Amino acid sequence: MTAPSISLDELERDALTEIVNIGVSRAASNLRKMIGGEVLLSVPSIDVVSQRRAARLISEREVSELIAVRQDFEGAFSGRALLIFPETNSLELVRAVTGGELSVQEVLEMEVEALAETGNVILNSCLATMANMLKRSLNMTVPEVLRGTGNSLFEVDETTSSEGLVLFLYIDFAVRKHDIRGYIAMIMDLPSLATLKDLLDEFIARVVGEDG
Amino acid sequence: MAESSYGGDQLRAILAAAGASGTWDWDIEADRLAVDQHFAELYGLTEPLNLAALPTATFFKAIHPDDRARMRIAVAGMVAGAEQFSKEFRVVTANGVNLWVHGRGQTHFDESDKPVRFTGLLVDVTARKRTEERLRVAQSAGGIGTFEYSDGFATATVSHEFCRLLGLYPASILPVPTINSVLKMKDGPCLIPESHHGGPPESLDGTFCIVRSEDGAERWIARRGEIVHEGPDGGYRLIGVIYDVTESKAQESELRELNDTLEARVENAISERSQVEEALRQAQKMEAVGNLTGGIAHDFNNLLTIILGNVDTAIRRLDGDTDPRVKRALDNAQKGAERAASLTQRLLAFSRRQPLTPKSIDAGRLLAGMSDLLTRSITESIAIQVTASDDLWVVEADPHQLENVILNLAVNARDAMQDGGALTIDARNVTVGPTHEHEVPAGSYVAVTVRDTGIGMSATTVAQVFDPFFTTKEVGKGTGLGLSMVYGFVKQSGGYIYIDSAPGFGTIVTLYLPRQFVASDEDAEDIPAAERGKPTETILVVEDDEDVRAYTVGIVRELGYRVIEAHDGASALKLFNGDQAISLLLTDVVMPRMSGSELAEAARRRQPELRVLYTSGYTRDAIMRDGKLETGVDLLSKPFTYTTLANKLRDVLDRSESNIVA
Repeated sequence: MTAPSISLDELERDALTEIVNIGVSRAASNLRKMIGGEVLLSVPSIDVVSQRRAARLISEREVSELIAVRQDFEGAFSGRALLIFPETNSLELVRAVTGGELSVQEVLEMEVEALAETGNVILNSCLATMANMLKRSLNMTVPEVLRGTGNSLFEVDETTSSEGLVLFLYIDFAVRKHDIRGYIAMIMDLPSLATLKDLLDEFIARVVGEDG
Repeated sequence: MAESSYGGDQLRAILAAAGASGTWDWDIEADRLAVDQHFAELYGLTEPLNLAALPTATFFKAIHPDDRARMRIAVAGMVAGAEQFSKEFRVVTANGVNLWVHGRGQTHFDESDKPVRFTGLLVDVTARKRTEERLRVAQSAGGIGTFEYSDGFATATVSHEFCRLLGLYPASILPVPTINSVLKMKDGPCLIPESHHGGPPESLDGTFCIVRSEDGAERWIARRGEIVHEGPDGGYRLIGVIYDVTESKAQESELRELNDTLEARVENAISERSQVEEALRQAQKMEAVGNLTGGIAHDFNNLLTIILGNVDTAIRRLDGDTDPRVKRALDNAQKGAERAASLTQRLLAFSRRQPLTPKSIDAGRLLAGMSDLLTRSITESIAIQVTASDDLWVVEADPHQLENVILNLAVNARDAMQDGGALTIDARNVTVGPTHEHEVPAGSYVAVTVRDTGIGMSATTVAQVFDPFFTTKEVGKGTGLGLSMVYGFVKQSGGYIYIDSAPGFGTIVTLYLPRQFVASDEDAEDIPAAERGKPTETILVVEDDEDVRAYTVGIVRELGYRVIEAHDGASALKLFNGDQAISLLLTDVVMPRMSGSELAEAARRRQPELRVLYTSGYTRDAIMRDGKLETGVDLLSKPFTYTTLANKLRDVLDRSESNIVA
């Protein structure tokens, strides 16, 4: 495993964390309106890792199968965003979102639809906020629901040669007092990450101003 | 928050009880900051400032410079619409003290989701931060990882050091199966025992072999901790630490192995010791036998001197009229006595009482003379070849001892070739340059090589063969002194000895004897006719054995010398009274009260130019140094004959003055 050739320094990571925090806060607000109940969302920290390491990291933390909502984005920087839940948590999420009034069968039937919708809200908010805060525009594809392991979600296989980097964000997600563990991952190639780094530096300069 | 139903004082009291240090209310719309008294005190904000309407930049004023950029970014997120604020940062108080505070806040939105206010409270967490710091240092410096597992949960709370020890990606919460997946023994006890394994474990003490997830390295991990029972419903928590014990585990197993092999090693040491003791006993036995035989040989030599001397005299007195049977009988008696004499010589050699008397010798002739002896000593299944160059240089060595050495080596070679083989002995001239494979110093040597095609020896054995008491033969069969005597002889003769051998490839022993640059005196030895003395030459014969003295005096007188005699040192010394000049003192070495050398010393004080010839059945240290005769000391071994005594007397008397040691 080679070390990432581009890394974000502490301030850059803080800045990205806060920007994504703004995004998930907006998503939480939207979700609250959608389901008419309490939703809290925050992103406490971020890691920049290789795809291979991201796959290992998530499989160390999650022993069950994973379910993910995927959206590709394109613009000043391009890549693929994933909202990942352990499979056990996704049904919990669907039940929480739907208010716990559905049968198990109904939950299973609704799972994909509910996840796609929730994922769309969260990822859209994050990416839109990033574009907005960094003063660039991004286009997004429609969400897609995937199941798999860390390796398959991060497209790690024997042939993976030039590895992209993954911005790995941990989300604290509480819906109607249910705690749901999840992750946001953004897979980007090196040029996109370099652009993002520059944009974050501009943002920091604007915010921190003259007294550094 | 600030506009809650509590009054200002009441709120402050509650907040103070909760450890709060101050509250703030950031009006995003109006870009104004309101803080309470505690916040103001913490930040060192003094009157006449209006605490209810401060510039928002005031929020960052007291924040430690190193944390300020980070906090500006965090607050920028909040005023831009992030909901949750939870940050720890340092505040520098008015007194210049650094305090760690935890700021917890939230953003308030209007109906159109626009952020309008950002409120929160600061809590002094310096004490907790210090504790965390100590805990972190304790973990990283001590290499100790912590964990906490609550009954019923699928995850455990762990420290970064915990993850590092197991080679997992740093995390604060890990699923229990992930932690247990590093265990080498998948069916053994778990690192974190989950509650479905049935109740709390007895103890958290344990040692586990793990395969680190990151690099596949195998390590030993120890686990210690406590089981904390929570309330009456049987719930519990496992709180513990893990640390690497690979090294001590390795030492432990090494120690155990040492322990396990202790008995075998003690047994070895004992058997080695008993072998050494056996060798020592053997050596002591040989020494005792040597002493005994030495003593017997001495007495026998005296007797043989008398027998041989008198037979000799009788033969010389025979004339033509005598019955030829008498002559034959006397000849037979003489031969028998001579054989007895040679037997006592061998006994003396065995008991190492034989002094070395180096002579100039031709090793080729010596080898040629040995071929009979060698053929008799070596079994028929071994082909013997003895060769020597025609033009061998002369060397100086004791010929009898050199014979013994070669015989010794030949017998060793024989023993190494139980199933037959070839023994080659050869002598050749060797000129050694500045470098030599055997590290022999530069010079000219005669190299005598004894080569066999036997079983050979390992390098370890070769390194030991010259050690006294070292033998590969069974106890009782070899003295273990053979090669050490060989070595001693070669060294004593100024030579070098080297062994080339390898198991299965035979053995080559090479002796390097230094070339002597004077002519061989071998030829001068066998002078057939006895040389006679003159009446002007007075010989003083000192001998404690009456018969030997009578025999000796008889020969000396017969040779034409004038003879005076004494039975011990004291009476001999009385004869040095100046009345008569004594040409030569012929004295026994071993005598009661005064030894031959003591007598010679005392006599030389009276008559410094006195010549001395010793006779002895065997010699002791009195006239030997390192087993060799001292220079200028002449010794005649008993038993001696008429001719040998005659020649030795003339030899000593005729030697030029300069050769006499005063």
